Amino acid sequence: MWINMGPQHPMTHGLWNLRIKVDGETIVDAEPEVGYLHRGIEKLCENRTYTQIIPIADRLCYGSSLTWSHLYCMTVEDLMGLEVPPRAEYVRVASIEMQRIASHLMWLAAYAADLGAMIGFIYTMRDREVFIDLLQALTGSRITYNFPRIGGVAHDIPPNFERDSLRACAYMEKKLKEYEDLFDGSKVFMMRNQGVGVLRKEDAMNLGVTGPPLRACGVKYDLRKDMPYSVYPEMDFEPATHPDCDCYARYRVRMDEMYESCKIIRQAVQKMPKGKWRIVAPRNAPARTGLGRVEDPRGEGMMYVVGDGTDRPYRLKIRSPIFVTVSAAKKMLVGYKVADVVAIMGGLDMCIGEADR
Amino acid sequence: MGNVIAFRSKDFVKWADGVLEGVLRRSPVGSGVDYLTKDFFNWATRNSIYPLHFGIMCCALEMAVASAPRFDAQRFGVIYRSTPRQCDVLLVNGPVSKKLKPALRRLYDQMPGPKWVIAMGECAISGGPFYNSYSVVPGVDQFIPVDIYIPGCPARPEALIDGFIKLQKMIKESKKGLLTGK
Amino acid sequence: MGERGTRFLPEGMERPASRIDDVPEEKVIRSLLDSFPSTVTDFKKLGKGVVRARIERRDLYRCCKFLRDQLGFEHLSMISAVEYDKRFEIVYHISCYGSCLLLELITSTPKDDPSVDSVASIWGGANWQERESYDLMGIKFNNHPKLERILLPKDTLYHPLRKDFKGGG
Repeated sequence: MWINMGPQHPMTHGLWNLRIKVDGETIVDAEPEVGYLHRGIEKLCENRTYTQIIPIADRLCYGSSLTWSHLYCMTVEDLMGLEVPPRAEYVRVASIEMQRIASHLMWLAAYAADLGAMIGFIYTMRDREVFIDLLQALTGSRITYNFPRIGGVAHDIPPNFERDSLRACAYMEKKLKEYEDLFDGSKVFMMRNQGVGVLRKEDAMNLGVTGPPLRACGVKYDLRKDMPYSVYPEMDFEPATHPDCDCYARYRVRMDEMYESCKIIRQAVQKMPKGKWRIVAPRNAPARTGLGRVEDPRGEGMMYVVGDGTDRPYRLKIRSPIFVTVSAAKKMLVGYKVADVVAIMGGLDMCIGEADR
Repeated sequence: MGNVIAFRSKDFVKWADGVLEGVLRRSPVGSGVDYLTKDFFNWATRNSIYPLHFGIMCCALEMAVASAPRFDAQRFGVIYRSTPRQCDVLLVNGPVSKKLKPALRRLYDQMPGPKWVIAMGECAISGGPFYNSYSVVPGVDQFIPVDIYIPGCPARPEALIDGFIKLQKMIKESKKGLLTGK
Repeated sequence: MGERGTRFLPEGMERPASRIDDVPEEKVIRSLLDSFPSTVTDFKKLGKGVVRARIERRDLYRCCKFLRDQLGFEHLSMISAVEYDKRFEIVYHISCYGSCLLLELITSTPKDDPSVDSVASIWGGANWQERESYDLMGIKFNNHPKLERILLPKDTLYHPLRKDFKGGG
């Protein structure tokens, strides 16, 4: 018997439909259905200038919007062959890592609320506000920022930004220990996560799964370390991995990533050189192709742009990590119970805005 | 008397409806009861607005944050419910694609009256930055009647709470008795 | 990406061991030239660890199987479809975890017959990406397990990303 879970469901990680075939309580087959949030962004971008696309790239994945607009700017800078000033690169790295912490905290809030630990929602949302305030001081907005520009960032950092970032990192590291006590000490949370939703390493690599679900299978691959971009080669951090391939491993990888992001933010704001934060980019792009790759909080994001000599792109193709990870849902769900769907699909941190484009 | 004792359920419902219609709704008894209880029920309705757990896009994040400790919409009586049968308000917070349009209309039809609709964010009001896309409906009021519009892209959580307060004012001004509907 | 990436590579940075050693990009180009001499052409090194090549569509399936089994390219990142004046181009971005390489493989089809072989049986991650290219651009993938629309409603009649579709944007 096929059951429809969605498109409106209280497990609100985006707008999608999961059709599962059940035999009693056990799942025998699963078929995710996306497309309820399709806005035709790739076609829209063919009629906008390069600068007008930056706010649209923000709204691709609204949970981590700075990553996507930076990815877009990096792709167009590769197309035009521009060299970004070092101060802008450091500001970009600091803001991307803050966005990564905010995105993981949002994931943890929704995950805890779905698994019944409403207290997790309350605490993590309160702490997420610390980073949202920092980003609001830097960019002027709470979630879709329109901050990067082609050739740098929109404006310089505000006064006292370094002091406030260091305070926020120290506060966050204390709080992360509290969350570990809260979740690891909860028997129900551990029972619902350990041994659930196992995805083997070979399946993960073949099915195109990237990001924390891949690192939770033991594959130590992080684009920031293995094919580095921007100023990541000068940052000292370790990609987080975990050998079990279940939901608990994915949770553990994201918690470790938050610790590493605090380390990177500290280094970025302390090593920031003086200088310009933006160069003026040309209006028209050459007739070539450009490629950008970035380690999004949800996986590997890529963009491929084809220029044709005018000020609008000829074709912009966006690779979304969640689009591919959700297609691997069937492997993770078969054999488990209906009540495990929440833990398994929640652990993938789905932001359907980027899957549907 | 045999008629009353041996009712079939369909006939019983028809009889009960007839009694309610005649005795309560049309007669002075109905208007009297309404006159006494109208203010009380109106106060209860406007202080317990239950929206639906339905998040579409970025404004849904701000909707989630509005129930977080910093902005706390629950002090206004706003509690999110998971099924449309228990909700008063449908909060549309993102662009409506052509694939979603029948599902959203069905959700609206499943909600029992009295019900209101709040369009939150530019995408729900007019299509937002995607207004001329081939797959976005330019504004949710093309197929659902909207009562409150909250502008912003994204609408800040304070704006959402302001929208709830305006809805409360709107409910207060349009006092309608539950029995007679006047 | 791009030439400026090379300045930041620290001295003596170790590459993890894999089947391709020494200069990985040259090794890949040489293996492809040896195995597919007539169909793989036009090599270009785009930056550190990124190589572009063109392939004719009749050899695409064999070449992808060779890449996965012999050369160790385990991960298919992206399948893009671009429409030009007289042809369609389908671009495959395939990466190797072991030696941190990205191969950009471009194949073209004539305008009146936009179809290529599906690589969904080689890399499972290609399944939904090919469905999306079919949905939005109308490229048909032969031997795909379930070639259906995925993002648009199932009864849509047009392919929106084609240049002759004036509906959106």
